[in-house]
Amino acid sequence: MNNRVNPGFKKELQKFGMSEQWNECFHCGNCTAICPLSENEVLFPRKGIRVIQMGLKDKLASYVEPWMCYYCGECSETCPRDANPGELMMTLRRYLTSVYDWTGMSRKFYTSKWWELSYILFFALLVIVLFLIYLPLRPDAYLMVNESGGVMLNHLVAGISGDQFIRIIEFGDWAMAIIVAFILVSNILNMFYKIILSNKSFKVPFYAYFTEFWRLIYNFVTQSKFSKCDDKNYWVGHMLLMTGYTTMFILVVVALPAFQTEKVVDWYNWQRLLGYYATFGILFFLTVVTIGRIRKKDIKLQYSHSTDWLFIIMLGLTTITGIVLHIFRLAGLPAATYYMYILHLAILVPMIMVEVPFSKWSHLAYRPFAIYFSRLKQVALSKQYSTGLAPAI
Amino acid sequence: MNKIPSVGIYFHYENNGYSNGLNKQKIEKYSDQIPGVRYIGNSHDLPPIDKNIFIEKLKGSRVSKLLIAGYDPGMVKPFFTRIMSESGLDPTNITLCNFRDYGIMGRADEQMAESLIYCAVMTVNPDEIINKVVKQKNQDTLVIGGGIAGIQASLEIANSNHKVSLLERTGTIGGHMAMFDKTFPTLDCAACILTPKMVDVGLHPNIDLMTYSEVKEVTGGPGNYKVKILKKARRVDLKTCIGCGICSEKCPAKASSEFDAGTTLRKAIYIPFPQAVPNKYLIDEKSCIYVTKGKCGVCAKVCPANAVRLDEQDQEIEITVGNIVVATGFKTFDAGKVANFGYGTFPNVLTSLELERLVNAAGPTGGNITQRTKDKKGNWIFTEEGAEPESVAIIHCVGSRDVNNHQYCSRVCCMYSLKLAHLVSEKLPDARITEYYIDIRAFGKGYEEFYERIKQEGIEMIRGRTAKIEERNGKLHLRSEDIINNKLIESEVDMVILAVGLEPREDAQSLAKMLGIDTNKDGWFEEANYLTDPTSTHSGGITIAGVCQGPKDIPDTVAQASAAACSVIQNLITKKNKTLDKTVLISLVEEYVNKLSEITEDQI
Ligand SMILES: Cc1cc2nc3c(=O)[nH]c(=O)nc-3n(C[C@H](O)[C@H](O)[C@H](O)COP(=O)(O)OP(=O)(O)OC[C@H]3O[C@@H](n4cnc5c(N)ncnc54)[C@H](O)[C@@H]3O)c2cc1C
Ligand code: SF4
Ligand code: SF4
Ligand code: SF4
Ligand code: SF4
Repeated sequence: MNNRVNPGFKKELQKFGMSEQWNECFHCGNCTAICPLSENEVLFPRKGIRVIQMGLKDKLASYVEPWMCYYCGECSETCPRDANPGELMMTLRRYLTSVYDWTGMSRKFYTSKWWELSYILFFALLVIVLFLIYLPLRPDAYLMVNESGGVMLNHLVAGISGDQFIRIIEFGDWAMAIIVAFILVSNILNMFYKIILSNKSFKVPFYAYFTEFWRLIYNFVTQSKFSKCDDKNYWVGHMLLMTGYTTMFILVVVALPAFQTEKVVDWYNWQRLLGYYATFGILFFLTVVTIGRIRKKDIKLQYSHSTDWLFIIMLGLTTITGIVLHIFRLAGLPAATYYMYILHLAILVPMIMVEVPFSKWSHLAYRPFAIYFSRLKQVALSKQYSTGLAPAI
Repeated sequence: MNKIPSVGIYFHYENNGYSNGLNKQKIEKYSDQIPGVRYIGNSHDLPPIDKNIFIEKLKGSRVSKLLIAGYDPGMVKPFFTRIMSESGLDPTNITLCNFRDYGIMGRADEQMAESLIYCAVMTVNPDEIINKVVKQKNQDTLVIGGGIAGIQASLEIANSNHKVSLLERTGTIGGHMAMFDKTFPTLDCAACILTPKMVDVGLHPNIDLMTYSEVKEVTGGPGNYKVKILKKARRVDLKTCIGCGICSEKCPAKASSEFDAGTTLRKAIYIPFPQAVPNKYLIDEKSCIYVTKGKCGVCAKVCPANAVRLDEQDQEIEITVGNIVVATGFKTFDAGKVANFGYGTFPNVLTSLELERLVNAAGPTGGNITQRTKDKKGNWIFTEEGAEPESVAIIHCVGSRDVNNHQYCSRVCCMYSLKLAHLVSEKLPDARITEYYIDIRAFGKGYEEFYERIKQEGIEMIRGRTAKIEERNGKLHLRSEDIINNKLIESEVDMVILAVGLEPREDAQSLAKMLGIDTNKDGWFEEANYLTDPTSTHSGGITIAGVCQGPKDIPDTVAQASAAACSVIQNLITKKNKTLDKTVLISLVEEYVNKLSEITEDQI
């Protein structure tokens, strides 16, 4: 591995987040010791600072530790030099996302607002144009109200049946899911290469790939590492968002025909209850984080990257348009429902196209994989170093 | 007979806030009305400086000389040299008057600035004039604070045959040093060095020792300070008390012992420690039952010398001195402020000062290092019988080198931690002793060698600041990163020592105000010049010594105290102030200068 010292590297890193505050660090080790998630063989965040201060760019590409950090902020609060190591871990997650992403889009989005905005606008317009041209509102849409007064959402489009409409949307869903999944999976493979394969200093025993696999599943579902942080509320908030988002995702992609029903089903039916839960979870998280980012009291919310705001805005708009759509539907306003539906998708689609493969939501996938990879590495190292003495840094 | 030349005056200011408090208009107005002076401008009025304006101003006037006053006027001298020659004037005729040299920075210093300008206009030496105006009248010296710094300074001055009044707030002199068993790096017995000096102070014919006293008010100026002193009631007569201690034996009231850093209790009538100077008892009115509730009086009844004066009242006296040495020392950082270490919650997390008392043979446990145990009433106390700790961790930099507390390094804690590790291992050879440090600062003569020696003794040194202490099953649980060995350490120990830093006394600010001296941003007293004049202040006749000027160890403290005494003696012998007094009256300066050179308007 090329471990040349590259002093200019910190300039590059600056684009991904905070200023050079971390350079204040005098390596006291407080942050590593206070971090509830740091453990032997996976020491962070101090060692990360060392790596950057020395400008070891390639070393950093194989550095999995930032993914172990759930940003509880304890290290930054107690750092005697105000070096803000927690925020550095956040910055590194952004940076690493761009390292894993072979398409280069992630890097563009993180380093330039305009790139990201144009990309979003492109997809938004695409959705709107496709709808208006190929799925126009039927002239007699006002008739599409059922006996309980709700709008028959699937029958608003001229010239096709409800079933056809659902199938078209479903097709769009799956197409999007496949593209996104393809990028994400190839990025994860790239990550695997960077962390495990390219690192010649250890060799993972074959059986470990299987014995450690359950961790991947477990961590994905429970986010259990998170609950180790002293701030339990934070874990609850994050869990709400995670489960809410995943529920919504399953509802609109996998179970679309059951979710987007002909009639508005009664409120106690599972589709509606799940939908409400998901909406509540996302809204709750959004409110807390937005207030936090504006107030800047909580150390982990003091620095907001432009992508953080964009994410909050997109998610907020998606949720709000979803709610309004629901209200219009209940109120029996077919035309309004139709346009709100387009608007909803025009925000949702670009959000998914940006966030899932290239930005925040990709962390959801990188995190459990990082834990998996780091376990692999640990298993490999424990075979090699009996005393736990790994090379310094 | 001086002839007043016509002088142009320009003010050069800086923009870094140093002189924000100074009323510049007032000074400019003053200088404008000095006969023969013509105001040319200042750097605030005219940014950026326009050459032609000045050339015009100078050409049209009868100015033959230019005075540049303000901060670092040398910076603009080349510019004005050119202007002078372009205006057809003698370019060498420029005088600089640098306010910074005289520490002029605030409102109180305006008269000093005016004096400097007046002297410069009259081409007389300001140092000489100002010293003539403020004469060294009084030959006595006041030393505030009776720690090792105050003791050293008092002895030096007294030995040069000058009178000293030594003022100490507590019942005895000695300060922090008296609390220690041994001192680094020589491991000399602290008492063996300090006690003879303390006794010297007590017996010295030239030293008037005032313990249990405080400064209330300081007026006057250098050479003639009037100091109001509050002599708190000791309630035991110093002359008649024979120090037998019967009163203390019988006294029913107890309070936490200051001298033992709170590790044990003392009586309400007490002597701080057996070697105290003066070696006399005193009553602490906060805990005495007679003072608080009006009954008891046992001590007065049992005293064989009839020395107890239960109804004695505080007294105020006024003395006049020429010079003042400030040596008020420090207090240790309040370890309770670092919540993660649980000081005050976990009984066996101690401060270094508490350990100093534990290792001391005259301490609460007779020099046995034991853990705190619960007594019958449920209080955690130290006793000689307590269990000896099997493992001790010492944590460095508590309250220092930390933006959340003090950013500065306290300078002595690395070394005293090494010393304490040595003392503990001497007494408990089987104990596991570990030091957690960020960097070891062993900066002095023989210090690095001392560090090496301690390492040889088997003390474990771990580079990594401890982040957290928790109590689990009566053991203290530490978490640190071992940076050198690249691992996380979770260790269990019986006792944790926090190497607390040094910080200014609570009353440092108010004392500084009273004395008219400055403090730096951390609250330490500010010296005239850190490199070249570390004991003088900008107030003439007031010097500082010891830790009150900034953290330092005993050798440095003693050196600085001797240096401060030297400044005082210099003032006393030459009968003028080494540093000028800034609170000079401009009217006196004018009067004095004018007497030197009787000038009349038509001579201009
Ligand atoms: C735990 C510990 C261990 C140490 N061990 C060593 C060591 O081994 N070797 C070493 O070289 N250094 C050691 N030091 C440093 C040493 O304590 C100081 O260098 C030294 O005590 C400074 O002396 P001082 O006279 O300036 O201050 P102090 O000792 O604090 O004395 C100041 C005196 O002034 C009095 N005073 C304060 N305010 C007023 C007031 N307003 N009016 C009247 N009187 C007042 C106080 O009562 C006190 O008596 C140690 C420090 C600590 C905390
Ligand atoms: S706590 Fe701060 S100064 Fe200490 S190692 Fe961590 S980042 Fe550096
Ligand atoms: S923010 Fe929390 S989880 Fe992240 S490195 Fe700091 S202490 Fe560890
Ligand atoms: S009068 Fe006060 S000092 Fe004297 S014995 Fe009673 S409590 Fe103690
Ligand atoms: S002397 Fe040592 S322990 Fe004290 S503050 Fe400085 S580095 Fe820390």
